[in-house]
Amino acid sequence: MTAEQFGTAAGLIERSAAAFVSGVPESPADDGFFGPASVTWRLSGDLAGPIAGLRSLLMQALHPLAMAGVDQHSGWREDPVGRLAATSAYVTTVSFGERAAAERAAARVRRIHTRVRGVDQVTGRPYEASDPALLLWVHAALVESTVAVRGLFGTPLSPEDADRYVAEMVVAAELVGVPAGQVPASMAELDGYFASVRPELRCTPAAGESMAYLLDPPGLDEEIADIWQDVRYGAVVALPDWAREMYGYRVPPLTPGRREEIRQVLGVLDAAFLGEPGVLEARQRITARVRTARSAPASTARSAPASTARPA
Amino acid sequence: MKRRSKLVAGASAGTVAGAAAVAAVVVLRRRGILGGNLRLSRGLAALQLIARGGARYASSAPRLFAAAGEHRQQLRNDLALETAEDVATTLGAMKGVLMKLGQMASYIDDGLSPGVRRTLSRLQDSVPPMSPELAAQVVSEELGGPPEQVFARWDPEPIAAASIGQVHRAITHDGRAVAVKVQYPGIAETIAADLGNVALLRRMLRITAPSQDVDALLGELRDRVLEELDYRREAENQRLFAAYYDGHPTIVIPAIVDELSTRRVVTSDLADGARFAELATWPQAERDLAAETIYRFVFRSLYELHAFNGDPHPGNYLFHGGGRVTFLDFGLVRRFTAEELEPLMQMARYLCVEHDPEEFRRNLVKAGFLRADAPLSTDQVVEHMAVFYDTVRESRPLTMTGDYSSAVVHRFFDVRSPVTTYAQIPRSYVILQRINLGLFGLLGELTATANWRAIAEEIWPFVLGPPTTPMGEAEVPWRARRPATTLA
Repeated sequence: MTAEQFGTAAGLIERSAAAFVSGVPESPADDGFFGPASVTWRLSGDLAGPIAGLRSLLMQALHPLAMAGVDQHSGWREDPVGRLAATSAYVTTVSFGERAAAERAAARVRRIHTRVRGVDQVTGRPYEASDPALLLWVHAALVESTVAVRGLFGTPLSPEDADRYVAEMVVAAELVGVPAGQVPASMAELDGYFASVRPELRCTPAAGESMAYLLDPPGLDEEIADIWQDVRYGAVVALPDWAREMYGYRVPPLTPGRREEIRQVLGVLDAAFLGEPGVLEARQRITARVRTARSAPASTARSAPASTARPA
Repeated sequence: MKRRSKLVAGASAGTVAGAAAVAAVVVLRRRGILGGNLRLSRGLAALQLIARGGARYASSAPRLFAAAGEHRQQLRNDLALETAEDVATTLGAMKGVLMKLGQMASYIDDGLSPGVRRTLSRLQDSVPPMSPELAAQVVSEELGGPPEQVFARWDPEPIAAASIGQVHRAITHDGRAVAVKVQYPGIAETIAADLGNVALLRRMLRITAPSQDVDALLGELRDRVLEELDYRREAENQRLFAAYYDGHPTIVIPAIVDELSTRRVVTSDLADGARFAELATWPQAERDLAAETIYRFVFRSLYELHAFNGDPHPGNYLFHGGGRVTFLDFGLVRRFTAEELEPLMQMARYLCVEHDPEEFRRNLVKAGFLRADAPLSTDQVVEHMAVFYDTVRESRPLTMTGDYSSAVVHRFFDVRSPVTTYAQIPRSYVILQRINLGLFGLLGELTATANWRAIAEEIWPFVLGPPTTPMGEAEVPWRARRPATTLA
């Protein structure tokens, strides 16, 4: 199989931006599952988002059954843009939507997952998308990537805020069907989970091909390929050594100068994304609510306890 | 296999956003390529991209000065930059540089639509203002005390967005009403650092026009932006202009208050007057007079002061009627040496006055606008370049139109012309493109009529003709007081 089997990346920005915008309500009835005082909201506009996202996909793909589910069911190869846009809409709605909207979106994803089942051709193991173990992997890979990449390319989270963020995100795993008791709620628990799941991970052909596509989307012209190389390098260099070795990627170490260059590229990308209709307004809605929460007497400190943002 | 899957549940919105942004570059470039000439499209997409960002920002940003509704005011307060960290988030990582590039977009215009160009130049207005506390903090650091102590009166609400800063009104202890421009904290360091990434800038600016030397353009842009980061430089420029035009009948330059001006704060007399949009509603005779003042200002400054204010943005003028105009913002001034100006004068002289095409061509080559070995007939060269002199070739009243400046620009970058291949804009003159884009664009918006050639003859050092208009007559006493040495 070759990368040519994948659909084009055209339309990605318009569709993803529309998805993002649709997930940020204009006059919400409530603050949703996280709220403006949460670390989750504070992280939302982080420049490092593109690299965090790409790195989390690289991590997620290393679970053979999770990868098989995507590869065999999702239309991923036919329409990768559509898949990513759908994901964007979902994650945005869960993060910023009202509780009712987040619950509706989650119910829909759970319904779809009940139809996604099969056998992984590499390991010969059967899988079901609604298997909490697979859902937990996907969840944990995202959460860990966000913390790791923020540390490398954004403003690093304090240990307390990192713990808060991991704890806040438990509810996102619950929404897709992972019992809360199984979800890591601190950085230490997250590390423990990664250690326990490591033996199951490997780079299958489907993972290798899918990630080869994402890292080097065919058809990019020279200048854009330049820019994409920086994002790709950032995602790969941010992987744990063991994950990079599974893929067989080799990259030079991250120097301070290289880090700065990558941040600059991320700034350009961010300006571009802001140019899509409604993106700025959606970000301003979030920022305005975060600022209001910051100055509200009840939660003046940024390190307010996570419990205020957790569901009852 | 059109079913759904499970990675869905986990991938982050950020991924998608980032990947999407990259894709946008691709998409736009493709659109650009589909839209027209392939060479022109290269790199243009990156600008259009920025422009789109700018459009959103500008249309939804809490614009200063706007007769804002309650909601807008609230939004502005909510989004105000409260800390140096907020500034870094908003303008760090190249965004401040993009904003500046937007401001200077007309340097690199090679076929952007007027709307896109305007959007780019307005990007600077798109950044939220500082909170009153943050602005006060900068004033304290720069002037040694909180603004309420340094000034007799201080208005904590900014009255205008400025380049990488904002303007506050105040009254000094000796009773002068002043405008105090306060720079965003940390912005100079951030932009200076980002300007160091020449490779990325070159990538963003890989413009297009066959006649644009990207490295020359980049070098010029960097120098100008770096200068602009230090407000002391701006104060120095403004002093130069204010001294030169002191006593001029229609040109007003607010005086700098030296003791209240530093690297990040510049204080000058507060000027009041009608904005450009209001001028556009005044009778045509008033608009013609204002246009004449601006025209005289630009060319007198260039030929006599050897300085060009490269920011003829409509927001940088205040109009008082009778042709009196206050000129604001001297952050982007290019000073020229006599050697740099010489060929420009000779070009105008030989084309418009001496009618000697061969000498005109020789000076074009000497200035670096045209390659010496260009296998072109002089007729071809004149035919191509003469459009730049359309307003001054004949002595007769002429009405500027909105189309004129874009016609000039398009002519220069017209790839269908055989001349374009051999033409370029030398680095020293990059900023002068602003004459075509800024000045003529502005005069076109005013549909101003004058005998521009006659006015030019008053100013051209190789003619120094007598006054031809009432304003020219009114300049006589002012000119009589000017020492001849100013011309050096």
